[in-house]
Amino acid sequence: MRGLRLALDLQESVRIAFGALRANKARGALTTLGIIIGIVAVITTMTAANGLRNTFRESFSSVGADVLYISRMPWVIQDDFFLYRNRPPIDYKEARELEKHLRGSAVANPTMNGRQDTKYRSERMDGVTIIGTTEKQLLVSNAQPAVGRFILPFEVNYKHKVCVIGNDVRKGLFGEVDPLNKEMKIGRTTFRVIGVMEEQGGGSFFGGPNFDRQIYIPITAFVGAFGGLHGRQDVNIAVKAPSEAAMGDLEYKLIGEMRKLRGLRPTEKEDFSINRLDTLVGAFNNVMGVVLLVGLLITSISLFVGGVGVMNIMFVSITERTREIGIRKAIGAKPHSIMLQFLFEAAVICLLGGVIGIVISAGVTVAINASLMPANLSLSILFIALVVAVSVGLLAGLVPAWRGARLNPIEALRYE
Amino acid sequence: MKAVTGNGNGVALALHDVEKTYVMGTEKVHALRGVSLQVRKNEYVAIMGPSGSGKSTLMNVIGCLDVPTKGNYTLEGQAVADMTQSELAEIRNLRIGFVFQTFNLIPRADVFHNVELPLIYGGVRSRERRERAESAIARVGLSDRMKHKPNELSGGQRQRVAIARAIVLNPSIILADEPTGNLDSRTGDEIMAIFDELHAAGHTIIVVTHEDYIADYASRSIRLKDGLVESDEAKGRKAMAGGLMS
Repeated sequence: MRGLRLALDLQESVRIAFGALRANKARGALTTLGIIIGIVAVITTMTAANGLRNTFRESFSSVGADVLYISRMPWVIQDDFFLYRNRPPIDYKEARELEKHLRGSAVANPTMNGRQDTKYRSERMDGVTIIGTTEKQLLVSNAQPAVGRFILPFEVNYKHKVCVIGNDVRKGLFGEVDPLNKEMKIGRTTFRVIGVMEEQGGGSFFGGPNFDRQIYIPITAFVGAFGGLHGRQDVNIAVKAPSEAAMGDLEYKLIGEMRKLRGLRPTEKEDFSINRLDTLVGAFNNVMGVVLLVGLLITSISLFVGGVGVMNIMFVSITERTREIGIRKAIGAKPHSIMLQFLFEAAVICLLGGVIGIVISAGVTVAINASLMPANLSLSILFIALVVAVSVGLLAGLVPAWRGARLNPIEALRYE
Repeated sequence: MKAVTGNGNGVALALHDVEKTYVMGTEKVHALRGVSLQVRKNEYVAIMGPSGSGKSTLMNVIGCLDVPTKGNYTLEGQAVADMTQSELAEIRNLRIGFVFQTFNLIPRADVFHNVELPLIYGGVRSRERRERAESAIARVGLSDRMKHKPNELSGGQRQRVAIARAIVLNPSIILADEPTGNLDSRTGDEIMAIFDELHAAGHTIIVVTHEDYIADYASRSIRLKDGLVESDEAKGRKAMAGGLMS
């Protein structure tokens, strides 16, 4: 019985709300406009944040989530940089040593990198990231060669001057030419192209690495051509955990092995860092979270203004319909029925604003995507927008509806 | 046609020493100063008096739109004084049918919806609602105006819609406040004829009026003056309840 009454009250509220909107089209449109602007502002902020996050994730998709990276420096420095600057670099010998210790329990791949200018015939490409690596590169990262093949073990052992180029490098240097078995210059050394990596996409993420603008060469050749065995070597070691669950244990093991290798006493701090994608993602999310929060704070002011507009209109609406409220009360409408009626009306105005706002936001998102920066409108954003719109309506309608519900029926009936 | 009350005996409502005081700014207005009266079931009562006599206040109290400041009011055995707004609304919905001088229809709603409204607030299901609203509209002879808005109807027709709305939940008491005040005398007579029929069908009817010829329809007339009952007398009917409906 209660359920039925509520259903009937709601049904009547729907009828009244749409009747009122139909009767006051211009007013309804203007009120809705305030909500539309607010919703568009909020959604656009969220889509922008969402787009950035997706691009970030995409651009690091080739970096395995189950891989630990041993490096001299932490990827994200949250305290003082000077605490780290005097650390000794990890050299190639240490890396080989560690690899031996880990044999059988985890795959370790040492890499070195630097920037070099490259050239093929008359085509030049400056500042390309050169990565000295081994055949195990394919085991620790998700990227695979699309054309040709990757570096083989004997090429690492015998310092062969071969290279596997990223897709942007292929486009930049070779254009339409088939790059396989072509000779190209990296720095002053000539390398033979044996493969092209598949496109990673994502592009350069705000100064982050562009994984398509890279060239892989055997690490031994890297040392020979650019590192110099006794020069400043700075090797990173990627270690792939057997599973993501085993990463914690692996991290302890790596710390232990590295300390042993470096002969650190128990009181001494580590002079190396174990990095993982999580730390990077975490740091990014922190920054992103703050940006999103500030953005939402600012944009929600416009939504608030829209809500005030709705509240204002609801007060007007209740004053206009005072007599009608009196009639309804006289024939048996309870206070909560009247309350529901006006709450519903406010919610409908805002929901309408929300829906129109979403449609406009979809357009704005496309425009931003095309011109400014990545933006992505997801289902959850749509859902949040609708919930927010309706909540704004309910909040804005609360006080006016309450006032309507409490009207004295006699005075309301007498109202002209 | 359902008769509302079985035999027309018994007490429909009783006021005992009812006072009503309004505070207007700093001044207290004593609208009712101790009214006691009883209305039996199926009685036809006219409440009369000059303006300011308290007849509107009395009607509001009887109609449960307002509660007395002092004194007791019982409606069909139920004390009204301590009821919440919700409970009062339910009583108004089920037990009382209002007919106002200014019709008080909802302007944007058509005839059918206006009549259907008390059923909605009473929690009646859609199909039953349709049947009962249509039969109430038929009873006042407006079946062919179902989809018309109030502003497409004449004054008499609007008052018929109001009557249909008042009787749709088959309340025991029909409370009419100057029901012919905005109508010409011929239309007024038609409306009063409907009240006669409703009286004959078993409803208790209370009409507030200042016109003697309207009061003549009633079988009892109560005169108020300065918030007190001045006279309360039964009298002969001008038109006997002959217009029984088929």
